[in-house]
Amino acid sequence: MATTTAALTISSSDLVGDALSLTTTNTLYKAGRTIGLDQTTGMTKVYLTSVSAIDLFPALVEGSIAFTGKTSWVYICNKSEDESEYALITIGGINIGRLYGGDYLWMPWSMKESVNADNHHGDIEIAPSVATGMWFEWTCINEGTEWHAADLAIS
Amino acid sequence: MATTTATLTLSSDIVSNALKFSTIATLTDAGGSTGMTQAAGLTRKTTSYASESVIDTTILYRADDYTTNGANKVYIKNTSTTPGEYFTIYLTGDRGGETHTDTDALTELGRLYGGTNGDWAFFPWNAAGGTKEAFTATFADTWAAGDTFTFDGVTVIAGGSGLNENAAGVDAVQFPNWTTSVSGAVVTFTSRTSRADLEIDSTEAVVVTAGDGSAAIATTVTGTKSLSDIYIKPSVETSMTLEHMLFYE
Repeated sequence: MATTTAALTISSSDLVGDALSLTTTNTLYKAGRTIGLDQTTGMTKVYLTSVSAIDLFPALVEGSIAFTGKTSWVYICNKSEDESEYALITIGGINIGRLYGGDYLWMPWSMKESVNADNHHGDIEIAPSVATGMWFEWTCINEGTEWHAADLAIS
Repeated sequence: MATTTATLTLSSDIVSNALKFSTIATLTDAGGSTGMTQAAGLTRKTTSYASESVIDTTILYRADDYTTNGANKVYIKNTSTTPGEYFTIYLTGDRGGETHTDTDALTELGRLYGGTNGDWAFFPWNAAGGTKEAFTATFADTWAAGDTFTFDGVTVIAGGSGLNENAAGVDAVQFPNWTTSVSGAVVTFTSRTSRADLEIDSTEAVVVTAGDGSAAIATTVTGTKSLSDIYIKPSVETSMTLEHMLFYE
């Protein structure tokens, strides 16, 4: 069984009156169990030169209920050194937020399929703010996902 | 300027070549190097319901209260020690024109399960609110001292016959769900939150006068729902506790 741990430390000596020092760690398990997650997309490093939104991780397609409710974790980091360059992160077309240069996110992902055919409500997408080139890293660690069939028609 | 850092460390033997990395983000305002100076402090919230059938969502953060497209960051952790108990995180989303079932009108982000060390998330939030409903109340005709204007659970008693004076009196009052401004005899009410379900008329804003005093109501802005409020929903009706914090501009 694989063991994957994610730890977060948030610290500040001057944000609030008392020093902030928050540390939390968790081991990534399959949904509702204590068996470690055993699959990953691997760490991707890319240089994007377009502001067009792209799919990082496609959600389930209609009817793939075998994967519904599985656990997935997503890491995305904007590696740009220009603090004004950002990437808009969306899920199924809904804005989550902007990752400015140096920002990252770590969040669970339900890769929820749509109740309506082919809408892909759970796709995670990013759209760089500039086309002059931005570096990104991302990975997804999960307990299984649906690999789309070749030449899948998506409306 | 405050200095706040968030460090993520990930280690795993999930692949043959061990995965291990650490990344540090200094939390700054959008597009600059100015340290973020505001936070909705570390909070704990316990949810509990009478039965499974009445479990409902709770709003953690309303987009209306924060800067849209700022470099806001959200931390959420499930403190439950039971592996099978989870909180689902949602954004308001926009599923206009579709048939909704259950929470499908919201956009599901993911689930935070409990356990020895509960799941946590740290993600940006663009806090996109909607449009706040607005309407005007135009004071006219004959008013007298003792006449009343009642709205949003608040009754304002006219101090005299002056239309501008009475409009100013209404503006001076604090309404629970609306803010006000005044220009002459016209009071403009603006909803404190983005909502698509408001349409105010004289059945809600009621005038009682001895004469023919009036306060004509006219909608000036039609409200829409917020687009990215953050909701959570527990998986069980028994007590579950969530920890959360927001860093914002």
